[in-house]
Amino acid sequence: MTVNAIAPPLGLRAGPRYWWGSLSAVLRWQLTSMRLLLPLLVIVQMLIASGFSIGMSLFFSEVSPTVGLYLGTGSAIITLIVVGLIVAPQLIAAEKEEDTYDFTWSLPTPRSAAVVAWLVLCAIVSVPSMILALVVASWRLEIDYTLNWSIVAAVLLVLVCGTMIGYALAHAIPRPSLTQLLTQVLAFGVLGFTPITFPLENLPPWLASVHQVLPFYHMGVIVRGGLTQGLVEVLWVSYLVVLAWALTAMLVTALVLGRRK
Amino acid sequence: MSDWVFRAEGVTKSYDKGKSFANREISIEVFPGEVYGLLGPNGAGKSTFVKQVIGLLKPDSGSMRLGEHDLIVDPDAARQLCSYLPQAPMPIESFKLHEAIRLTGEIRGGERDAIAARSEELIEALQIGEWRDTLGAKLSGGVRRLVGFVMVTVVPGRVVILDEPTNDVDPLRRRLLWDQIRRLGEMGAAVFLVTHNVMEAEKSVDRLAIISDGALVAEGTPSSLKIADRGCLRLQVMLSPGAVTPELPSLAREHSRVGNLLTSVIDEDRAGDGIAWARSLMGQGIAEEYALGAITLEDAYIRLTGHVSEEPVEVAS
Repeated sequence: MTVNAIAPPLGLRAGPRYWWGSLSAVLRWQLTSMRLLLPLLVIVQMLIASGFSIGMSLFFSEVSPTVGLYLGTGSAIITLIVVGLIVAPQLIAAEKEEDTYDFTWSLPTPRSAAVVAWLVLCAIVSVPSMILALVVASWRLEIDYTLNWSIVAAVLLVLVCGTMIGYALAHAIPRPSLTQLLTQVLAFGVLGFTPITFPLENLPPWLASVHQVLPFYHMGVIVRGGLTQGLVEVLWVSYLVVLAWALTAMLVTALVLGRRK
Repeated sequence: MSDWVFRAEGVTKSYDKGKSFANREISIEVFPGEVYGLLGPNGAGKSTFVKQVIGLLKPDSGSMRLGEHDLIVDPDAARQLCSYLPQAPMPIESFKLHEAIRLTGEIRGGERDAIAARSEELIEALQIGEWRDTLGAKLSGGVRRLVGFVMVTVVPGRVVILDEPTNDVDPLRRRLLWDQIRRLGEMGAAVFLVTHNVMEAEKSVDRLAIISDGALVAEGTPSSLKIADRGCLRLQVMLSPGAVTPELPSLAREHSRVGNLLTSVIDEDRAGDGIAWARSLMGQGIAEEYALGAITLEDAYIRLTGHVSEEPVEVAS
């Protein structure tokens, strides 16, 4: 029997109700599709976030307040970007590999709502882990933060920038194996050779000048500016560099998602 | 007011800078309420064609319209107006069966209560209720396929694209699924059915297009495509395992062999000779049984596409 049949649409949906309805539905779709993975991901992120400071406190018997602040805030900043920049693209690559990508992108949702849903999903994993990283660092490295309101803008901007770079890469690169490889390189580079957990001056001059253009060093500067006082000099140029990278990644995402082979 | 007719004109899609064609100049019209089959061998360009309808791929030239909407210019409209069951598996490992259906219904713009009621109706109609609370990862391939069908049709589009919907589905539920596909047409949707299962399509589609090497080689109702074979019968002989294909009598117009099954098309008025030939093969131990029947769409399909044999016919000299 066909009693409750829903008729095909008579026209196109548009407007704020369509957009917000799509955002809500896509977010629930993504949260449910990560039901088995999400708790594990949060736990692993939290372990990594707190593990860094605990490790440092075990390695060095005494850590000066300045070094402690660098390490503590550095681990928090890395925690904030690692999910959107490295873990999330791997999930998108897996979708391509499992051949489920086409179905996801055939669903009738505004692309912008799908992008915002992805940002929210990454924030759900990243922000609590970042807060835990700060709390554990404060306890183990005996440091105090001086919070100011710019932290809200800085965290938001860094989260959007990191996530959008990862998102743009994952969608732009057709071969999943290449995405996997690139994220490994990024993980190695960001965790090991980026002046987030150490001052920029410690790098060879040529690498320091490269980091003046890349977003990672500047991400560290603006988040530190909201967490500490006197540790770094926050220049507007750091906000501009991160903003420029975020906008570029959004533009690339828009182009890639709008492109049809 | 839109007439909701799907019209494709001259759709051409090439790869490798024009070296190979996935679609060549395909023009078709599909009307609301119609179940329209797209048949063809693997790699013929059927899936490529429907991916262009939903906006996942873009043709090099040609147009695709649904009523007043240009689906190539406006892929967002294409996604809203068409629903698509891909051939690939659905990403529902972490979803309970009913969650996957209801969430997709919401994404497709349905109201929650209406989706819940319709979802239950379809779950019952396809007899998959016993897995309502089971995670997708634990479902068999056939059940997952049925869930995929319900996901994309609980809130149907004006065009519903089903790419090999019956894959992995057991024979009983396959029949139930065909019922529901027919009902989509009754609800006013135009259904694109992509398949290479000709026997099933013959019973279920209103019209069909046969695509071969990217081009449309025939279009019409299943009966109209069989007109060229009117006055003929199909004689099938099951050869003994290992038997070499016997020399074919002059009465066989066409023949093909798949495994041990030798199929010939013969003239209706020479049915007696055909039976005598088949019996003589059985008498010599070359064949085990035979069957004489009406020409099917599959025979027309073989004639039009030249595809069937998985191994070349070797005729004994």
